[in-house]
Amino acid sequence: MDSPARLGPAEIIGVLAQLGVATVLLGSIYALIAVGLTLIFGIMRVVNFAHGEFLMLGMYLAFWSFTLWSIDPWFMVVVAIPLFFLIGLLTYALVMRGIIHASHNVQIFTTVGLSIALQNLALVLWTGDYQVLRPWHAAVVVRIGSAAFNLSQVVAFAASMALTLALFAFMKWTAAGRVIRATAQDGEAATLMGIDTDRVYRVTFAIGIACVGAAGVLVSPLYAAYPTAGLQFVLLAYVVVVLGGLGDMVGALLGSLIVAGVEVVGSYFFGAAWKEVFYFVLFIAVLVFRPAGLFGQRGAEMLGA
Amino acid sequence: MGAPRLGRWGPALLVVVAGVTPLVVHDAFFLDALVLVLLWGAISAAWNVAGGYAGQVSLGHSAFFGIGAYSAALLSTRWQQSPWLGMLVGVLVSLVAGALIGYLSNRLRGPYFALSTIAFSQVLLILVSRWRGFTAGSEGIPVPFRPGFWTLGLDHVAWVYLALALAILYYAVQRYFERSRIGYQLAGVREDEDAAQALGIPSRRLKIFAVTLSAAMTAMVGTLWAQYVGFVDPYYVFSVDLSIRFALNAIIGGLGTALGPFLGSLLITTIETYLRATFSGVKTGFAGIYLVFYGCVLILVVRFVPEGLAGLAARLRARPARA
Repeated sequence: MDSPARLGPAEIIGVLAQLGVATVLLGSIYALIAVGLTLIFGIMRVVNFAHGEFLMLGMYLAFWSFTLWSIDPWFMVVVAIPLFFLIGLLTYALVMRGIIHASHNVQIFTTVGLSIALQNLALVLWTGDYQVLRPWHAAVVVRIGSAAFNLSQVVAFAASMALTLALFAFMKWTAAGRVIRATAQDGEAATLMGIDTDRVYRVTFAIGIACVGAAGVLVSPLYAAYPTAGLQFVLLAYVVVVLGGLGDMVGALLGSLIVAGVEVVGSYFFGAAWKEVFYFVLFIAVLVFRPAGLFGQRGAEMLGA
Repeated sequence: MGAPRLGRWGPALLVVVAGVTPLVVHDAFFLDALVLVLLWGAISAAWNVAGGYAGQVSLGHSAFFGIGAYSAALLSTRWQQSPWLGMLVGVLVSLVAGALIGYLSNRLRGPYFALSTIAFSQVLLILVSRWRGFTAGSEGIPVPFRPGFWTLGLDHVAWVYLALALAILYYAVQRYFERSRIGYQLAGVREDEDAAQALGIPSRRLKIFAVTLSAAMTAMVGTLWAQYVGFVDPYYVFSVDLSIRFALNAIIGGLGTALGPFLGSLLITTIETYLRATFSGVKTGFAGIYLVFYGCVLILVVRFVPEGLAGLAARLRARPARA
């Protein structure tokens, strides 16, 4: 890669534009993953350590439906949203419901246990091989300014953005969204107002899982599917949500753009092999200096989340 | 979470059984399993010092394990130094790393603390796997077997006694945390940090102390493990999976109890060794099935027996037997 110091002003602007577009495209996908995680945390106060495994399941759903029945992942997104909503409801009933009021340790290890079980279920069902899905749109090049992207990535961006914004709209303007927000603010008061909080938690968890499942389908043409594929994404999603303030949906969107920016710029200057170092260092720095997130209130981490 | 009383003689009996076994049984497979039970138990005991007694639940303890494993492997393969020296270096590096992590993550609680420790282990994983010139990167380092105590090239019987000595030492450290002033203060911090602080307990310093000690203890086992197994690679020794495994033995055995990590290791390592031996050579994704079971057991234990095996025994004892 050329040393940036040798570039003229026009080239520098070109590079910046390229990095900017790449950041936005990548950030939108991270946002869809992170928004589900932060929604679940914000309402239920449970950090879902198994979040990445639902992403992985989404990737396999896309891979197998493409390989077996030639169903394009773009169509599978439409199927994945209700399907993962149901998976979310089921997971809530079997696992999450019992731990909402439990201690941190119980919550951490229950979701970690779920993560181990799902990862290895995938290993049993589909082996540890990397599965790459190549639909026609992965080969179509789209030029945005001087930068080239493939059509899968551009559509993944658009779909992620649309889903994230739809979720924002749902939370802000619908009666159900208001009920969810009320529960998030004060679960006890909400119960006194006649809100069925168990139902709110159930639906919220299912929405969060539907988001991350859809994200898994959308990234399937871009990244290989394998049993622990969720891990890298979810570590990144934690960076995003801690950066944005756990439970803060707008923060998750901004955090996604920041993390994507760090990754894109870091990869450009130092090579893709080191990108993870940048966001983990960023993560540690945020945890140390602003654990409540860039925009959150100080002291949130002391509440023990 | 009081210290469950398994009786004064329970642990002593286990030590005698483990100590006499190599004199009676000469089967390499069985002795290997015994060494693994003791080493895994020791690692989980080290984890328990921070995770159980201090309530600092780390999911990144493989960082310290990896530091211990790599220090010895690098020193012995590159400069022909004794793994014992490597262990010392690993412990010193882990003391610094543990203190740093303990200090930086001090204010974080629950999931925040767990996440920060994951991040640390992942940074180390990336550094070690990318620094190919020095660490051999993702290929890993085979640790040569050179017979002798100084080179840790021991036979199975000697390994049993070495691992047993370590297990006794770590059991004693945990007992110290159960009975000392520091231990009681830490229990206070774990149960209610704000209240403990109000009573004048220096909670921050105590938590940093526990994490640092736990880190050094983990590094020591890391060195022994690397020498015993004969191979280190970054994707194993620094993995999140490994960190979870450390915690798992302690949870299943009994969080914050001295015997818990060893009971957990006895159960989990035995099942794993048995299943691996029974089904080895059969490529049916069996490893996966076992781990699915493992994940489900974790969920069920945490949900229904949160006090673990040691606590369960205490609970059964406390409840008078009905005729």
